[in-house]
Amino acid sequence: MLEGILEILIKTVVILGIPLGALPIIIHVERRGAGFIQRRLGPNRVGPFGLLQPLADVAKFMFKEEVHPTHVRPFFYSLAPLVALTVALLPLACIPIMAPLEINGRTIYPEVFRSDMGIFYAFAVSALGSYGILLGGWASNNKFSMLGALRACAQMVSYELSLSTSIVAMIFLYGTNDIHLMVAAQTGYWFGFLPKWGFFIQPLAAMLFLVGIFAESNRLPFDLAEGESEIVAGYHLEYSSMKFAIFFMAEYIHMIALSALFIILFFGGYSILPGLDLIPQSPIITPILQMGSLIFKIAFMIWFFVWVRWTLPRFRYDQLMDIGWQRLLPLGIINLIATVLITYFRNQ
Amino acid sequence: MISDILLTIITMVFALMVVFSKKTVVSALALLMTLLSIAMIYFQLGTLFLAAIQVLVNAGAVAILFVFVMMLINLEQFENNREKGKVKLVISVLAVLVIMGIFALIINNNIEVLTANNIPDNSMKLLFDKLFSVYYLPFEMATVLLLAALVACIVITGHEKAHKVELEESHE
Amino acid sequence: MSSIYYYLSAFLFCLGLLGTIFKKDLISILLCLELMMGGVSLLMILMSRATGVLESQLIVFFMIIISACEVAIGLSLIIALYRKKQTIYTDDIKIITE
Repeated sequence: MLEGILEILIKTVVILGIPLGALPIIIHVERRGAGFIQRRLGPNRVGPFGLLQPLADVAKFMFKEEVHPTHVRPFFYSLAPLVALTVALLPLACIPIMAPLEINGRTIYPEVFRSDMGIFYAFAVSALGSYGILLGGWASNNKFSMLGALRACAQMVSYELSLSTSIVAMIFLYGTNDIHLMVAAQTGYWFGFLPKWGFFIQPLAAMLFLVGIFAESNRLPFDLAEGESEIVAGYHLEYSSMKFAIFFMAEYIHMIALSALFIILFFGGYSILPGLDLIPQSPIITPILQMGSLIFKIAFMIWFFVWVRWTLPRFRYDQLMDIGWQRLLPLGIINLIATVLITYFRNQ
Repeated sequence: MISDILLTIITMVFALMVVFSKKTVVSALALLMTLLSIAMIYFQLGTLFLAAIQVLVNAGAVAILFVFVMMLINLEQFENNREKGKVKLVISVLAVLVIMGIFALIINNNIEVLTANNIPDNSMKLLFDKLFSVYYLPFEMATVLLLAALVACIVITGHEKAHKVELEESHE
Repeated sequence: MSSIYYYLSAFLFCLGLLGTIFKKDLISILLCLELMMGGVSLLMILMSRATGVLESQLIVFFMIIISACEVAIGLSLIIALYRKKQTIYTDDIKIITE
């Protein structure tokens, strides 16, 4: 009993600690990446290469005066950032960072919430993501906030459909809901060099999922929720200091969780990167390599997010809805039907 | 055991908030919490798949529809200016108490039968074997129903014509 | 100890019924209907657990689908009504003809 509780506690600390600890680095990369892409310097004054800039930002957020507007709905105004952060953290619970470990004859699963429907759970929980934003926008009692929240909510609900079609297609392909089995199906090579990643079987589903996660995490080119030129700052307009920082954190953690799901479905999850498996494997080295591979893949995804953010302009709102409902959803359904038929005839 | 009682109390409190809170948005959010705690009860009872479906569909889509519509039509403009039927409330509370009493009698007389755990281990696989063999027709009908509901919503709420007329008028 | 859930399901159903009877605005009535649905599906799951019959879990599955349809159509009717009459109270829509 005590051992079980201790195990879950350690796992929780590790799973929460990695993304929360990586946040300052991600924000730094985002700023420097923006500078790199726009041919300017970016933050480089605080510490070597501006590496201490995130720390300075944290200090600024902590010591800034918290402006509490009088026209807001007080309880929900304070609740909204917490809801956003909690819901963003929930899908991380079922994402494994390495293969199950065998210690003293006991199998230890690296994810906090072990279930044979991990991917389903993660998707179900990330469907709750729009509540924090909606609450924040509504509680601010401000037209621009409300507009931003409604936009974000409508956008998330619409893109969830195309996202779910691609997830269902992948579940059909692997024939399982279990993340460990999915990763196991993607380990190994075709023709000796091409890794067996889902991306190479289902590029269309991968594309749909990629667009979907951009829309779900409200990042450019889909950040209509906070379009500065139209609605000032959207749902977090009335928030300042730590509450704003929490919204900010929630957005980045949502991004990390969704890219982890993307990697599990399409890029082999924690399976070791091609090339690294030439290193002789042992019970100690393998988990480290797996963890490193997963973190490398997620880091690449984050860089991809930054890259897209500073390259593509923002969509107009009707274009966004057109893409979601009239382009991506039919594509997703066609892809799903084709996958189901192929799986059926292959299993005959 | 303790978790059962805790879950029950949480669900009851949120359910009471749904019915008795003054603000409709609060009751919608309380409904969301009720649905989530019912999902947790499903999880506790070992029906994992239905718990996930409950979170995905009821909490993720249905409750958000409520909140969305409420914020769209700005309910607060006519809140608290209606009196609730007091007599109706008293009578319905009495009726509810009678129903609860009858129900409690039924449960108490069959308590051993009702609290057994007879769910097979691989219930999810069996469930889907049934769904896609014996009950495939209802399943297909449910998809048709969803499609019909989708079309119906667009037809009921869409006001393309009115919008066009307005536009034409403004051009003239 | 899962017998407590039977009482909970009855409680949810009755509370939803009470709400549908004495609430005045249509959205609250729909909310209470959802609550009743929750109580009934909880009872179904409990019964399936007690008897081992999986059909009642399937019924819950279909109920969730149907309740989603019901809420979508109900809310769109409310929006249409609001556009026409600027009210969502049951008292104001007693008259069918104009």
